[in-house]
Parts: sequence; structure tokens; C-alpha cells
Amino acid sequence: MRSRSRTRSGYGSGLATRIGTAAVWLVVAADLLLVLWILLTSLRGGPDILHHAFGLPTSPKTDNYATALDEGGFAQAALNSVLTAGLSSVVAVALAAPCAYALARRRSRTSSALTMTFAMGLGVPGQVLVVPLFVGLSRVNLTDSDLGLGLVYVGLAMPFTVFLLTGFFSGIPGVLEEAAVLDGAGPLRTFVQVVLPVARGGLITAFLLQFITAWNETLFALVLTNSQGKITLPVARSSFVAAQQFNGLDYGTMFAGVCIILAPMIALFSWMGSRIIQGMTVGIGK
Amino acid sequence: MATTIDNPPRTDAVRGRSERTARTGVGPLERQRRRMFWPFTAPALIVYAVLFIAPVGYALWTSLYKWDGMGAMDWRGLQNYTLLFRDPRFRTSLFNTLELMVIGGTITFVLSFALTLVLREMRAKLFARSVLFFPSLVNGMVFGIAAGFLFSPTGPVNQALKLFGVTTPPKWLSTDNLLPMVLGTLVWTATGYYTPIIMAAVDQIPDYLYEAAELDGAGPFQRFRHITLPCAWDVIAVCAVLWTVSSVKIFELILLYGGSTDAYPPVSSWNTAVYVYTEAFPQGTVPRLGTATAAAIVSLAMVTLITVVLRRLLRRDPVEY
Amino acid sequence: MGRTTVSASRVVGAATAVALALAVSACSSGAGDDAKSGGSFTYWSMWRSDEPQAKALKAAIDDFTAATGAKVTITWAGRDIAKKIGPAIAANQAPDLWDESDDKVYGTTASAGQALDLSPVLQLQVPEENVPVSQVIPAKYFDMLPKDPSGSNHYVIPYEVVTNAMFYHAADPAVASAMPSPPTDWAGLLKVCDALKAAGKACIASEGEDPWTNALYFDYLLNGAGVNVAQLSADKSGAAWDNPAVLTAAQQVEQLVKGGHLIPGYDATKFPAQETNWTAGKAAFYMDGNYVTAEVAKQVPAGWKTASILPPTAKAPDAGLIGFAIPKRAKNAAAAQKFIAFFLQKKHLSGISTTALNITPRTDIPAPAELADVQKTLEAPTVRLSFDGAGGSWLPKVLNENYLDFWHGKTTAAQFVAKCKADQVTYWQTQG
Repeated sequence: MRSRSRTRSGYGSGLATRIGTAAVWLVVAADLLLVLWILLTSLRGGPDILHHAFGLPTSPKTDNYATALDEGGFAQAALNSVLTAGLSSVVAVALAAPCAYALARRRSRTSSALTMTFAMGLGVPGQVLVVPLFVGLSRVNLTDSDLGLGLVYVGLAMPFTVFLLTGFFSGIPGVLEEAAVLDGAGPLRTFVQVVLPVARGGLITAFLLQFITAWNETLFALVLTNSQGKITLPVARSSFVAAQQFNGLDYGTMFAGVCIILAPMIALFSWMGSRIIQGMTVGIGK
Repeated sequence: MATTIDNPPRTDAVRGRSERTARTGVGPLERQRRRMFWPFTAPALIVYAVLFIAPVGYALWTSLYKWDGMGAMDWRGLQNYTLLFRDPRFRTSLFNTLELMVIGGTITFVLSFALTLVLREMRAKLFARSVLFFPSLVNGMVFGIAAGFLFSPTGPVNQALKLFGVTTPPKWLSTDNLLPMVLGTLVWTATGYYTPIIMAAVDQIPDYLYEAAELDGAGPFQRFRHITLPCAWDVIAVCAVLWTVSSVKIFELILLYGGSTDAYPPVSSWNTAVYVYTEAFPQGTVPRLGTATAAAIVSLAMVTLITVVLRRLLRRDPVEY
Repeated sequence: MGRTTVSASRVVGAATAVALALAVSACSSGAGDDAKSGGSFTYWSMWRSDEPQAKALKAAIDDFTAATGAKVTITWAGRDIAKKIGPAIAANQAPDLWDESDDKVYGTTASAGQALDLSPVLQLQVPEENVPVSQVIPAKYFDMLPKDPSGSNHYVIPYEVVTNAMFYHAADPAVASAMPSPPTDWAGLLKVCDALKAAGKACIASEGEDPWTNALYFDYLLNGAGVNVAQLSADKSGAAWDNPAVLTAAQQVEQLVKGGHLIPGYDATKFPAQETNWTAGKAAFYMDGNYVTAEVAKQVPAGWKTASILPPTAKAPDAGLIGFAIPKRAKNAAAAQKFIAFFLQKKHLSGISTTALNITPRTDIPAPAELADVQKTLEAPTVRLSFDGAGGSWLPKVLNENYLDFWHGKTTAAQFVAKCKADQVTYWQTQG
């Protein structure tokens, strides 16, 4: 390990490396300070924040959180967010995994055409899909419904999840399957009992990345849901902020809302962060 | 993607052989793979077709009409498209989209490589890498709100600059600086996202290549140019494509940086995604879904074209080691 | 072996299809029409349930249900309602009643002929008061509105009115000494600004990023000069911009910019930085809708006294309406109309003044104390829409950015007028 870093340290001799390292730490510190600031600000009173944006909470106010959860509707929204983001991500991975596996294992013209079709979906801006999806969902009465929103998230997740998992499955050597097939296992059993356990890391990464995307998604959630009992967190935040026109905005509560959106991301990331990065790297790098 | 799509030619020979063997009754694995193909792909394909491809098709159809979303649809043919290109605001939006894609992409990848090199030498590199990655998990609106406070004339950024002797800092939040600010935020989040990927690719390069090069007297730059870059090329190509397609979708960031409570950001900072949004969800007028979808289709066509060209350009014989 | 596995995957596929179908049918049966019974209707509100207007409305709705037995299904949709109403109408899922500001009602529904003509509501009796609605809502509020394709301007019935003006803190000694009496001409305003500058206070606080409030100065000046902004914006040749009065108005705005009367740093902040500076006394005036008093209520210092003036020479105050509208495709329009008349009763409508601290269209409901001035302004015989109702995407696509460049001192008055003229020509070419 040591000798390895020795051999490569020659890139930018001494000074450049030191400046680079300092810069990295500076950005790291800035990132951390930003999160800390948001957290501290969420404990302060609204007018106080506007007059001195940067200060410590004089007497930490947790009532911002109470207000956000209750009047701001963030509690119900958080539940909706967990449900739509969680379930849609599970379904998306469950659908994408066998597909990606088949695409990775079978090398035919159809297979690469299909892979390409999924990949092209990565480039479709969400705005193209909003109106058609709204019209379509309303035909089957799935507007203003978390089920409808979840279905849309499953659809939106397909390109990236298939893309990521295809890369992931290509990286798994075929030897295991060969053995399973020689033992007489069918494709489904081979896939479920032999391949999936090996690919668990990739599946979890795909799930987490999809969860994060769905958690933060605003545009579709805004258009496809409207009653306060159905909205997700980003929409709750957006509608709370929009109310500043005509009635003013309580910045303390808003920052509390931001923290409620951020907290699971921070928790998830400190717990699973390196796994996400690792899985993503394998999926894309392969 | 690069490998899964590029690989077939390389494995053709192998496949040809296994197919022949399969036909003669041997190679149960290959046969099984062929049989499982459609049952395994069908569910995902159906969902994708219904919830993704069909809407795109519907959008394409809508783009040929004048439609407010509520009343009757009037046939316009390609007129929506010609109108778009006569609209200087759309041309600005297209230009900005390309600018974000090219300039943002270049800076991001240069920085990601620099970071990779720096991070490898650092202590606590996993921690630093994780923190740098974090911003890409955060909803764009957080940056919009934070920027208003951080970059205000008396905000902490200017205070910090004062410590370094900068007494007349730029007007960060002025309308002129909108696109640079968006670009900066993009680079900041995207660098954190792509660095770990590139880092992993560089990590896989075996040490002996470097050792050999050093014995041959190659300097640091030459080693980078002749070993690091070619060995990590595949991964870079995938990342470049990913960046291209995702840069077209940037939307919230511009809206949040540029828009005040109820107004759109200034036209000079629009990209195609914002343009589509303003046509599809206008304030104080009925939507113009025909032009909205036409603009979306144009940007889709553009990104497809650029992706195809990019993949051609970046295609190299993979380096085997 | 092979056969069983194939069927296994078929089972998976079939199961997925069934699950999807079940999900779809389960939901479609659940979300059918449930409000068909007598007098019941659905209402989508622009307010969130925690806002004071919502509380006033909720109280009235509870009363309405108690009095008539009609059930009202309320959705507190918030301001995003303007983005949702169009798709909802398209999908035939629009509510029977909704509310928004007049420009949004006109823009999203009425201009496309999707808003019901509410003239019959004007003939309805206000319960317990024995007068028709037309007697409690002044006709001037309808007269100023643009007409929908069927020629009606009764597509929105207001319950709150708003006007834009220059607000200031009347008890601030610096302001009081600089402005002993409201200026009557533009030079008078500049004199006030100079006096404030000499006293070390900026004249005008402005959110430099916001085109709308800042362009209101220009709008009022054009009004004073007899230029109708709607007509100005509708001229496809752009020649209307050659009117010397337009350039003069722009030059007057330029005097504010070049004279250093705008609060320092206004072009480098985001909302609400300058609103906050204004409440902290760093500038005298702040142009905004009268809801600004409600916006800043929690942060103004003790002893704050709101007063307002119009930019001098303006002929008529502008007015904005917030009110009810009914989509043409509404299934229970009659019930919704009945509720509109019900809410306009003095005892219910007063909540907009007492709870929500805003002004109602009824002159017999006193405005909250800090808006007494504004209510007097609104008693003018005629009122106008801001920008004379110039609407659509003209503001964002023609005026806004050019105005901001001008307001930030990057272009001169003449350049601003020329740019607007040029952009207006290309704008109309691409509206087709």
C-alpha cells in the first residue's frame, strides 16, 4: 500500500499536491459547514434569521419542527414520500434486475438494441413526459394518488436502473451459473438462488440511488398530486414557500422543513454512503 | 453502457461458436439464456413502454398541434418547429443548454481527474470522498435558498474574501452572474458524483505499468497521458455520456436561482428545459403544449445526436491488462 | 425442467399484469364522483389550510354546511393550483369551485373559454342581507377586467382586493421630515428622495431580481402619461414604443436609478433581503402589493405604522382581485354559486379583514388599521389592472429582462425602449 502511493505520488510534485489537498479540505469543510448552518438555522426564529442570517440559536426552538410537521403538513408528506419513494424503488429494482441480467448475459442484436433503447431514455427531459402522463393517468383515475405517482416513478427509474444493473451483472463471472445449470437448475432458480445473492450489492445500490431520486423529485409530484394528504415532501416544501406570496414566509419553519427532507439523506448516506459509491462505480465502470 | 453495447462485436466469434454448439445439443447455459431472454426482459419492457415510450410518442404527436391542454387540438404540422427556430428566446435556450453541457462537462472532468490524483495521496480519503459526493444527493432547492443568504453582499462568502484582501467582490446574485452561478453549483455537485467513479477506474490500473514507465524515465505528465488516461478511457466515455444526457435535464437549479417568488428567471438564463416549462406551465396564460413538446423533442433529438457522436469519438480499442 | 421454468417466468409476468390491472381498477372505483347529492360541491383552494384566509373560508364553509346540509369537499391546494387547474379541466376532474387572483383565473381558464360566466351570481341575494351580490361588490372591479371569448368579464367574483403602492413607515422621523406631504409630481418625489439621501437614508428598497414590483413604477408612470400598457404590448409592429410619452416615462424611472435613490446592493441580493432591509429602516419606500403588511407583520419593529402613496401623476390606483371562479365543465355549478353569495355576507367576509388582515371588496367592511390608507385609495371611482392587464407571456418574454437590465443601470432609457420594441416584434412573430 505504502509503496504504491510512493510510486504514484510523482504526478504533481510537492507543492501542487499540497495546494490540491488544501483545496479538497476547504471544499469538504464548506460542505459540512453548509449542512451545519442549515441545521442551526432550523432552530431559530423566522424574523431573527432574516435580520442576521448567520448566528447561533439564542434559545434553540424546536417548535419550528412542530409547526413544520403539523401546520406545514410535512408529517403526512414525509409518510407519503417514504411510501412512494420506497415502494417505487423496490418495484423498479425488481423489474429491472431480471431484465438487466438477461441483457447482460445475452449478446445478440436484439439485446444490444434493447440496451440502447433503455439508455436513450436517460436523455429524455421530464418535461416531455409530464403532460402525456397526466392525461394518461387521469384516464385511469390515478391522478392525485400516491399509487399513480409511484407508478410514474417506476417508469422513470427504468432507464438508469437497467443501465446500472446491466453494467453490474456483466461484472459477475458466468462460472457460477454454469455450475448451477449443470446441476439442472432452471433460469429462474439460477437467477434467484445463484446470481441475485452475488449481485446483492448492486441491487442495494440501485435501490438507494432510485430512492434518493424519487425522494427529491419535484416536477411530477407537483403536477400529479394536489390534495394536502397526498403530496410528497418536496411539494410540501414548494407549497409552503409559495405561500410567502400574500402571507409571508416563516424562514425558521422552512429551514426545519429543509432539514426534514435532508435528514434521511444524511442518515442514509452516513450509513450506506460508501456502499452507494462502490456499487455505482462497479455498475458504471464495468 | 460502453461495454455492454460495444462488446458484441468482440464476442461475436465466441457467440458464433457457442450457438453452433447449442444447435448440436451442447451448451445448456447458452440455450437457457436464450430461452429466458424474453420472459426476463418483458416486465421491465412493458412498464418502460407504457410509462415512458408511449408518453414520448404522445408528445411527438402533440408537437404537431396547437393545443391549450383543454380545448380542441388544431393541426399545425411542422409549424411549431419553424416558429421555435425563429424565436430568439429558444435559440438562447439551446445555446445555454450547450454551454452548460460543454463548459460544465469540461470543468467537471478536469476537476474530477485532478481530485482523483489528489485524493489518492490523502489521508482520510474515503471520508473526503464521501463528503464531496454528498451534494449530489441534495434537492436542488436547498442550494437556491442557501445561495441567497451565502452570497448576499454582506454574506459569509464576501466576508471570507475580505480576509484574503478582496474588497470589491463580484455581485454574485446579479442577473448577469446567474448562469455562472448555476454552472458553479453544477460543477460542485457533479464533480463529487463523477470523482469516485473515475477514482475507482484509476484504482484498477495495475502498479507495474507505472513502475515500468518510471524505469523508462517517463515524467508524471507522460505517465498520466500514456497510462492513466488510456486505461481509464472506457469509464470516462460512459461518464461523458451520462453527463451529456443529464446536463440537458438541468431545470430546478435555474428556476430557483433566477426566479423570485412568482417570476421566471430572465430569458438570457433559460435552457431548453426551462423553455419547455414556461410554455407548458405559463403564468397568466393558457399552456402552449404544441410548442412546449416541440421544444422538448428538439432537445431530445439534440441530445441523441450528441450522444451518438460522442460515442463515436470516444470509442477506442480497450486497453487490455 | 425447462418447461417448469418457462411457466414459472410466465407466472411472474402474468402476476405482474394482474397486479397492475388490480391496482388500476381498485383506484378507479375508489375515486368516483361522490358529491352528487343536493347542494354538495368540491372546492380547490389557493390557500394552504394553515393560512388565515383558509381559516376564514373554513369557518364560512362549516356554517354553509350547517345551514344548508350541503357537503363541501375542500382541497387546500396552495398556490400551485394555477398549474393544476388546466390539466384537471383537460382530464374532466376539475373542481366545482376554485379561487385565484384575477390574472391567473383569466390566463389559465377564462381566456380559453373554460370559465363559467358568473353574471347570475350577481343577481343572487346575499343571505340574511336582502340585497343582491351586485350591490355589495362594486361594478368597477369587473369593468377593469379583460373579456373572455364570450364577452363576459364576470368570470371571477372577488372576496379580497389588492392594490400596489409605495409603502412606508409613517412614524419614521426621517421620512416624515423628508416628506411633509405626499408629492404631487415626479419632481416632488425626486425632491423627497434627495432629502432622504441627505439624511443618510436610501429612498427606495427594491428586490433587484424581481421584475414585476420594480416595473410597477414604469407602469404607474405610463398610466400618468395616458399610455395603456395592454395596448402598448399588443402592437405587433412595436411602433407603439415610439410614442414619446413612453420614452419620457422610462427617463423618469432612469432618474431614480441614476440618481442613486435605490438602496445600495439592490442588484446583488435575492428576495426577501431588501424587504427585510426596508423593515429595518434602511430605506423609506417599498413598492409591493398591500399584502406586504401581512408578509412583514412578524418582523417589523414596535411602533411601526404603515402608510402608502402612489407614484405621483398616476391617474388611477391599480387593483387585483382574489376571488372565486367556476370551471365551465363543473358538475355542481349551481351549488358553488350559492356558496359564493353565502361567503359574501358581511359576517363571513369580515374574516378576510380581521383574520387575514387584508382588504375585502365590500366598502362596508373596514380594512385593518394599517391598510386604512389603501382602502381609501381603492375608493377611487375607477381602478385599473396593473400593466392594464397586459398578460400572457409578454411580461417574461418581452419586458422583464429588458426592464431589469435598465433598472440595474446597464442600459439607458433609450436603449431599453429600443430593446423592448425589437423583442416585441419577434415575440408576436412567434406567437402564431
